[in-house]
Amino acid sequence: MTAGSRLPWLVVPAALLLLAVYVWPTLGLFRTAFNEVGPTGAMIEAWSLKTTGEVLADSFTIELTLNSLWLSLSATLIALCMAYPVSLFLFRTQSRFRGLLAVIAIMPMLVSGVVRVFGWLAILGDRGLVNSLAQWLGLISTPMRLVFNWTGVTIGLAESIMPYMILALLAGFGRLDRTLEEAARSLGCTPLRTFLRVTLPLSLPALALAAGLGFVLSMSAYITPKLLGGGRVFVLATEIFEQATTNTNWPVAAVLAIYTLVLLLALLMFSNVAARRLQR
Amino acid sequence: MPTRRLVLQTGLATIAAPALVRAQGLSGSITLMSYSGIFQDNYVKAVVERFQQAFPGVKVNYVPGGTSAQMVGSVRAQKADPQVDVAIMDVTTSSIGNIEGLFEKLTPAEVPSLNELHPEARAAGGDYGPAVTFDHLVLVYDTQNLKPPIEKLADLWRPDLKGQVALAAPPNIQGLALTAMVEKMEGGDYRKSIDAAIKKLRALAPSVNTFEPNPDGYSLILNGVVKVATGWNARAQLYGDQTGGKIAALLPPEGSVFQINTINLTAGSKNRAAAIAFVNFALAQAAQKAFTERMFYAPTNAKAAIDAKALARTAAAPESRGRMIGVDWNEVLKMRDQWNNRWRREVIAAAGR
Repeated sequence: MTAGSRLPWLVVPAALLLLAVYVWPTLGLFRTAFNEVGPTGAMIEAWSLKTTGEVLADSFTIELTLNSLWLSLSATLIALCMAYPVSLFLFRTQSRFRGLLAVIAIMPMLVSGVVRVFGWLAILGDRGLVNSLAQWLGLISTPMRLVFNWTGVTIGLAESIMPYMILALLAGFGRLDRTLEEAARSLGCTPLRTFLRVTLPLSLPALALAAGLGFVLSMSAYITPKLLGGGRVFVLATEIFEQATTNTNWPVAAVLAIYTLVLLLALLMFSNVAARRLQR
Repeated sequence: MPTRRLVLQTGLATIAAPALVRAQGLSGSITLMSYSGIFQDNYVKAVVERFQQAFPGVKVNYVPGGTSAQMVGSVRAQKADPQVDVAIMDVTTSSIGNIEGLFEKLTPAEVPSLNELHPEARAAGGDYGPAVTFDHLVLVYDTQNLKPPIEKLADLWRPDLKGQVALAAPPNIQGLALTAMVEKMEGGDYRKSIDAAIKKLRALAPSVNTFEPNPDGYSLILNGVVKVATGWNARAQLYGDQTGGKIAALLPPEGSVFQINTINLTAGSKNRAAAIAFVNFALAQAAQKAFTERMFYAPTNAKAAIDAKALARTAAAPESRGRMIGVDWNEVLKMRDQWNNRWRREVIAAAGR
């Protein structure tokens, strides 16, 4: 047996683990989606498409989908605007503290999502840092509503996906060649024109990769909309949780989970195609 | 020659012998699943530890199971190989477990304490696990910063409470209970329609800070986020005591709704005899008295002699009982999705994004 022929065996442990913790439960999810629910919430074993039909025909499913897409789009755009300059700086800096700075940039990933959200509550709450400062400066007389609504969720979500996007941007900056920018400058381009005509186009594959990742993470985010939404923000992830753990309606939760999975797979495929086209 | 005392002692010993033998004969461990936090702390002290003293051979593992729906979900997922022997949860979810065959029927022959329960406690579970605690929805408020304090349900609409109210919206059962209460306040009956309640709640929506208090309304008041929240009486009473009266519970004069926890024996329990003994013990007078006096859940055992002061702080107090709105949770369950949709589209939507 050659070294090359032995290579596929290396993936066996990971594949077995994936089979046990992902594929098997997912098959269970598909099975549950065929079940029905009685009038008082009891689950009825069946092989029926009734639940799927009802969920897909419900206008609230469309609303949930649009809400999820809109929230993901806003959070991704905000995060991208913040992550891009940070990543560009980290990619370019010659500082001996570059490693440390990179760690600082992705540090939020080291903190539990719940703790991060409660941090945002302390900052954005009625008596939080932002409102207290604005009132002290005389900018407002009554607190601005910054949490328990869409504003709070968008801010919290953008912050939570930003570290992942920084990592994706740093990984995707491979084609960003400093000499091309220097050539543009030496030929008379202003810094702004150099950025717009050279740096930005060369960053596009990285931006597409980061945006795709951020969007998918936002679509599946649960903690931030749940804790910062104040019961006003309805998205697919929160609805799946609600149906499974409050309504005890597993079939509806399963159908919505599969629906979200299909949606995410389609979005990932679209993101990959876009990134590949931009690389050409 | 046998004296009268000896005869009496022998007779009593004979009567008590089977119970003693049974108590001594039980062994192994059982798993009890119920709520976490202060419920767990107090239930372990008031009931579980007493049970283990009475049945030293049996170890009770208390497993916090999250919400009632999560608990019934766990029992459902373990149907083929049950890991839980006894589960205490809200009646709206235990009834789902009863229909799905997750829990066993109980008889007075096996659980003699059933004979001592209030009729409504037996009725709550039908032939299955009966009510083990009664609680009711209250308005919890900040006693330090809310002047004047709230005195009735209608006070929620006070202009000075704008942005200071936390409500748990449906499908949370607090939201369902509140809907029935507001409908009654508006002169209606939830069985016929909730139009009046929805209209009134829609007017309240802009005052609501959050429709999903996390971790709960009591904490939001104690942290100064809101001044009024919906909550359950027992927990509100206990938090009030623990914080030196910083929060208080109001049973609205317009009426309130019972919340019922049932105690359920899992079908296929691996230590059925010990699980049955625990259910019987939890429903018996001593355990009911201990838990009520410790945490202010109203007892379901009609013969439990509760301290008058503690009883007055529960829904079992005569003046409290008179305020209760008769809600059939099984009927509400059938309307839950419809109520939930109306809250989302008509009430929460009116609160703005």
